[in-house]
Amino acid sequence: MKITGKCWVASGYVMAYDIITQPFWTSPIDLKENARWVMAGVSEEFNRENGFASQGYTFIVAGHNFAGGGKSIEHVITGLMGAGIKAVFADSFARLQFRNAINYGLPFVTCKDIAKGCHTGDQLEWDSETGVIRNLTNGKVFQAVPLAPFVIEIAQAGGLMNFIRKRIAEGTISDLH
Amino acid sequence: MPGMTITEKIIARNSGRKRVTPGELVWANVHTVMTMDYLGAQTFAKLHELGVREVFDRRRVICVSDHLVPPPNEKFATMLNEWRRLVREHHIVHFYDLGNQGIAHQIMVEKGHVLPGTISIGTDSHANTYGAVGALGNAVGVTDAAVAMAIGKCWLRVPESVQFIVRGEWHPYVMAKDLSLYVMGMMRWNGHLIYKAIEYTGEGIARLDMAGRMTLCNMTVDLGAKNGIIAPDNVTRKYLRGRTTERYVALQSDPDANYEQVYELDLNKIGPMVARPHRLDDVVPIEEVEGIPFNKAFVGTCTNGRVEDLAIMARILKGKRIHPDVNMLVVPASQSVYLEAMKKGYLATLVEAGAAIDTPSCAACAGIHTGVAGDGDVILSAGNRNMQGRMGSKKAEIYLSSPAVVAASALYGKITDPRRLSLS
Repeated sequence: MKITGKCWVASGYVMAYDIITQPFWTSPIDLKENARWVMAGVSEEFNRENGFASQGYTFIVAGHNFAGGGKSIEHVITGLMGAGIKAVFADSFARLQFRNAINYGLPFVTCKDIAKGCHTGDQLEWDSETGVIRNLTNGKVFQAVPLAPFVIEIAQAGGLMNFIRKRIAEGTISDLH
Repeated sequence: MPGMTITEKIIARNSGRKRVTPGELVWANVHTVMTMDYLGAQTFAKLHELGVREVFDRRRVICVSDHLVPPPNEKFATMLNEWRRLVREHHIVHFYDLGNQGIAHQIMVEKGHVLPGTISIGTDSHANTYGAVGALGNAVGVTDAAVAMAIGKCWLRVPESVQFIVRGEWHPYVMAKDLSLYVMGMMRWNGHLIYKAIEYTGEGIARLDMAGRMTLCNMTVDLGAKNGIIAPDNVTRKYLRGRTTERYVALQSDPDANYEQVYELDLNKIGPMVARPHRLDDVVPIEEVEGIPFNKAFVGTCTNGRVEDLAIMARILKGKRIHPDVNMLVVPASQSVYLEAMKKGYLATLVEAGAAIDTPSCAACAGIHTGVAGDGDVILSAGNRNMQGRMGSKKAEIYLSSPAVVAASALYGKITDPRRLSLS
């Protein structure tokens, strides 16, 4: 599947704490609710209600350790999803949020040096099957690491919750190994 | 076929496999699942969303009140009431609430809820601490925790292992925290340790007590690693005696196990280290920051709130007074730590030196409880993170160091190398 849209490019480390700031860590986990203040700590520009969500970005492009700093809160993922983000491309991801992203079916796609070839506002096209990312604005092409089959399976089930619920209902939960 | 690392063996053993290889995805059995007051209600809500009303094993879901106790405001008090209701509703056997509380990771290890050769997960990022006893400790979100509470399993990607062989002698007043910070400064957040299993080994580790091992494994999450682990030895066996009656398997890495990288570190070259404000990977030897003034000192947290940490502080502060411009807050990591430090006289020494002692909790570490930072504060902390706003105000600066550095520095109101003190 190909997805096209506008990207926001990070200029330094993007910390989980700044994606969802402290007052919202215990908010209900909800796409719309969490999107209202998502990225508020990342830049002054986004530090207002729907400051990031209203920008119409489809992709985030970042360097190393995206969503690092070690928070387990899932609002980071639901907030980005609620704001319309369809995938995040980065050199590397912090593992806690990488895990959460898989569990919610938001693709965190590893792609070396992509931040060096994109500017905020560029139009990107991502082919989720081949992992090819095209920057339609400047013509650059990147080869990302394709999604693992397990990641696709969870995403297609609509996230880990649905994946597990279905198996409990079917009586096939003990088959997991 | 090459041998396996301890992390690979633990995952293989707990997923019914003879062997696993890095990159493989497995569903593994968990020994215990920890959740705490702050995210516990979310975790139980997810469990209910799965349509499950009973946890897989009431003895293996460990509930701890640590972020919110005692409640400083109505919001926290109400959250705690809901949390207690949910814990009771599920007939959880091991509930460590106010009066019996401690920081969850301290409780998990101290009370024998993590065992060598097993997997334990928790909804707080410093669950990596459990590697100190040779367990695979892993931090997860509330969804993963809820799934594990329902079915006793979680999915894991087998990580590549990276070995740090630690040789040489520990300098006096150099602690496991300094080694953690040294590795942080050496590796930075460049992606090299992300998802990795970090295995600490060598004679420097063999000589380290359990408190130091917990510090070291605790901060592997801040290096970006999946887990940090130290293979069980006599220190481990001695520590676990009296804490558990369960049998465990002291798995070890094979001599021909495969490591993605092996780093050798020489303790003779490692002195006290300090992480400078706003970036945890901006670590320098103490010489580069000596003399910087600060107004708040903080020792506690799952990283450095143990008896051994308070002992070294008491040694440094005995018979002295901390600088009048410094507010020092000390928060033992658990009620057991509190009691032991009290009986040994460490708390009396610290109070006589002018430190304030607070009830065991996560305190100001995450900026939500006692001792938060205000505008203009410069804090020297023995905690684990120093991002802008971490302890409260975004207009505060946090330096991170060992408890020994905090204690020595508190005497002068400026960052001071504890090795300079002439100790009688």
